[in-house]
Amino acid sequence: MNKYFVTATLSIFTLVFVACKKDNTEPLPDFSEEYQAGGATTIYTANAFAFATPAPNLNAENLATHLDGDAEFEISFVSPPANISYGLGSVFNNKSCISCHPSDGRAARPDDLNDFSGFFLRTSIPGTDPHGGPNPVPGYGTQIQNQAIFGMSPEAEFEVTYIETEVTYPDGDKASLRKPVYNLKNPYIPMPSDAMFSPRIGPPVFGLGLLEAIPEENILANVDENDTDNDGISGKANYVWDEEFQMMRLGRFGWKANAPSVMVQSAGAYNGDMGVTSPLFPEETCAGQSNCDDQGDDPEISQEVLDNVVMYLLTLAVPAPRMLEDEEIMKGKELFTEIGCASCHIPKMETGNYPGVPAISNQTIYPYTDMLLHDMGFGLADNRPDYLANGQEWKTRPLWGIGMTELVNGHTHFLHDGRARNFEEAILWHGGEAEQAKENFKRLEKEEREAVIAFLKAL
Amino acid sequence: MFFTKLTTKSALLLLLLSVISFSACDNDDEEPITETQDFSSQLTNITNNVILATYDDLAGKANTLLTEVEKLEADRTAINLNNARGAWRDARAPWESSEGFLFGPVDTKGIDPAIDDWPVNVIDLDGVLASNDVLTEPFIDGLETGLKGFHTIEYLLWGADGSKEIGNFTDREFEYLLATVENLKNKTQVLADSWSASNEDYGSNLINAGESGSLFVSQKAALEQLVEAIVGICDEVGSGKIAGPLGDSAPNPVEEESRFSHNSKNDFANNMRSISNIYNGSYNVGNGGLTDIILDQNAALDKTVQDAITAAISSIENIPGNFSDAIFDDRSDVENAKDKVLELKQILEEQVTPIISGL
Repeated sequence: MNKYFVTATLSIFTLVFVACKKDNTEPLPDFSEEYQAGGATTIYTANAFAFATPAPNLNAENLATHLDGDAEFEISFVSPPANISYGLGSVFNNKSCISCHPSDGRAARPDDLNDFSGFFLRTSIPGTDPHGGPNPVPGYGTQIQNQAIFGMSPEAEFEVTYIETEVTYPDGDKASLRKPVYNLKNPYIPMPSDAMFSPRIGPPVFGLGLLEAIPEENILANVDENDTDNDGISGKANYVWDEEFQMMRLGRFGWKANAPSVMVQSAGAYNGDMGVTSPLFPEETCAGQSNCDDQGDDPEISQEVLDNVVMYLLTLAVPAPRMLEDEEIMKGKELFTEIGCASCHIPKMETGNYPGVPAISNQTIYPYTDMLLHDMGFGLADNRPDYLANGQEWKTRPLWGIGMTELVNGHTHFLHDGRARNFEEAILWHGGEAEQAKENFKRLEKEEREAVIAFLKAL
Repeated sequence: MFFTKLTTKSALLLLLLSVISFSACDNDDEEPITETQDFSSQLTNITNNVILATYDDLAGKANTLLTEVEKLEADRTAINLNNARGAWRDARAPWESSEGFLFGPVDTKGIDPAIDDWPVNVIDLDGVLASNDVLTEPFIDGLETGLKGFHTIEYLLWGADGSKEIGNFTDREFEYLLATVENLKNKTQVLADSWSASNEDYGSNLINAGESGSLFVSQKAALEQLVEAIVGICDEVGSGKIAGPLGDSAPNPVEEESRFSHNSKNDFANNMRSISNIYNGSYNVGNGGLTDIILDQNAALDKTVQDAITAAISSIENIPGNFSDAIFDDRSDVENAKDKVLELKQILEEQVTPIISGL
């Protein structure tokens, strides 16, 4: 018998065994709710457009706005004055929304940090702004724009060196983590010596409406700042300034939960990332700087454009997980909870009523985040406070759709600056409150560790 | 496929075993396992004879464009300018014929914006031309995407109002043109290489869909990718590329993409051809596409699709004159083209997609 025969026969037996097992042993767990990761906004296609599809349950009015916003999200801005798409710069990081959120997904960590990419550094000096937020660096603000329209100086160039550290598992297996160390090159004016920097990379943008629709009390129910339940996990809410409503509100978005809403996050990104002014942030990010050529054309986008883009981001579908009944994936899912990942990456949440957008209202969802800040240890620390988030705290990232990153974006670079080259490295970077969960992961058998990663890839 | 390598005897044994196994299940009242169809021949044909063939053609035509621009720079005549413009149109055709499959490396490697960003950043382009920077290919490569690719080349070859003559060219413009066309050629080669089996072999993800190592969990997922991509371009042409410049009540001429060269009608028609190519599995040659699956399930629908593709292409080509004038002078013809394109989109979305998703 040749080997193909053996393989074929074995696979037939396996098929039959699995098929018959359904009748003879315990029924498979019911994952029907978990497949609907985004509730009724879920889509079941597993292709490169999985992050970029309108929620299937949108009403006609919301869908029309969504589609207008879709086009706006892709607009490539050019230097003013121009008869279309004007407003880029004078300084900026990139020139369209989609360039930092490719296919509405995750930006790759660029080989050269000075290429046009989804990467930049935030900055601030000690102290706070009037609302308790980061204290802007005079002449720089709170973000370094490393690009400029032609003839203008970028604020600075980025420089990075890497320190590789070997990690050894109890079973002798090894992995390597690269720690980036950042510096500025050619700042356009001297940078204060006490300036702090925090690297950021563009995250996926689907499912945001559902996260915004989670009632505040549901999020606050998991706050345990002083770890009164002694599980080593605290969970802290950030409270940040909402420019739209002119008040302090719960932070939900951004790597340190420093934005209260998709609206503030988006208008902030237009302004800070592209140099495009809007009614919410009508002043150029470079205002008052020598590298600023303000054409007096502000705001460069209208409230309608901003509203359309916000609707687009609120109403992108969430892709369903795949193959949850697979034996290895089921095992990985159990281990994910057993070793403590699910303590912060809380699987299930409920949304409340979101006025004007019924599609995202009152949904049961599986985002795998508690929306709270956690101390992630020295290794990941940016040492730059952002409202109540200290220099070691980051917001728990949602994990839904994370398994499709390679299909959608062609890479598996994870964490706030894309330093992790794969799922394993991303797990091994966890520290602080997640130290115990990481140690538990390291102590697993190799097949068990692979099962945890198989589960993440199925999300 | 491993089945082809089985000996006849083994195959018989296998068949026998399968029959026994299936009946064992039947006794347990388990639903019989139906053999799923194998679409690897369609996926292989589409990958090699449509996608890779289009990208190879694009890389070849971009190379010809470089040759023509070099000739023009060396011998600045109206005839050579005309030839260079023709070579731009020839290179543009396979690119527009590839927009029915905008997924994979064209997206993840940032090649789409690098070669087809729009609009041109005219203010900065003028700035670069007026500067003392040496305009090499690496220099152009480092510029933002509004300063390179098809539309920057188009702007340089035709000028803002399409009336540029050979005597209007400056030395700096030739320098810029050479460097940016070389950059376009390099990017299109990277794109072709990324799909090629002898190189990065992204195509194997489609060909081996459902097998371990492929990004697609199943052949169905790969086919859904193809269908969603053709629906996507159809929507973009109907709702964006045509509807934008046409406007609801008055034209928005600045929204027309290839307006310097008046190539828009060709762009739109080639976008429709990319749909036809994926659907029929052929870029001049090739056999086996989505049509096989639709024919098998609903022969009448297949004819509806083929007719709708033909109607979309001919309605675009039947717009009188150039598109820039037609949005003012022949609005009903433009409106008709938009309707035909959106009718095709609706058929693909509402009738073809469910069949593929139901596989």
